[in-house]
Amino acid sequence: MKALLLRLEPVIWLLFGAGIMVGTLLLPGYLLTVALGAPLGLLPARALSFERAHEIFSNPLGRLVLLGIIALPLWKGAHHTRALCVDLLGHRSDALIGSLLYAVALAGSIAGILAVLSIG
Amino acid sequence: MRAASPDAMAPSRPGSTRTAPPELPDRFWTQPRMRTYLLFDATGIVYLLVGLVALRVAWALAAGPEAWQRLMQSFANPLYVAFHLLALVGSIFVGVRFFRLFPKAQPAHIGPAKPPPRPVLHAMLYAAWCGVTLALLVVLGGLWP
Repeated sequence: MKALLLRLEPVIWLLFGAGIMVGTLLLPGYLLTVALGAPLGLLPARALSFERAHEIFSNPLGRLVLLGIIALPLWKGAHHTRALCVDLLGHRSDALIGSLLYAVALAGSIAGILAVLSIG
Repeated sequence: MRAASPDAMAPSRPGSTRTAPPELPDRFWTQPRMRTYLLFDATGIVYLLVGLVALRVAWALAAGPEAWQRLMQSFANPLYVAFHLLALVGSIFVGVRFFRLFPKAQPAHIGPAKPPPRPVLHAMLYAAWCGVTLALLVVLGGLWP
């Protein structure tokens, strides 16, 4: 398993790099509006009404941005959580923990692709 | 493609002196630099959860107006609000630290192309960060279109 993770390292690193860079660029804007602003009523009611949100996120660019908000933080999260586990728990369980975390990121990314494609 | 061996950088012959394997000092997490480093890695847990929660946004949009309404109501739950505030602080912490480290990690040149001076690159990253955030606030905040 360790050998497989090393073999996949370039791909994982690319997704992790995209996650930390693009994910961090996107997250504050997403969190301030969709996650906090609209649910707490801090935005005008029409800003993220279902109709408007649907219109924004069914647009090809909107779908891509939403997929970026779903999938890229997953890879940044998986890789950094793995690094944290190595620091605190040592290398012995790294192959198992790393594989599990990347499996979550992969499953979440595939679910994210299917989800943004299913927005009618 | 050949996988890199974890021992690739090991010397071909053992050195003349024996060196103890690297070991973390006791209570290493009490050192301020180490604490910041561990905190930076720990934001990974928050990012992982943000990505999974964001899946709900796409599912709700696909499911229809009632599902969207339920999602907005559940996001107003104090637990979600606290988590998303933590994620906001976490993503700002990651941005500030990562964008400061990024210029230092650039190669001196790629072929004939050289990266811009470090302060310029740093400023460009902040400009991109502010630009993307502003664009999302304008579009998702209902100001345009």
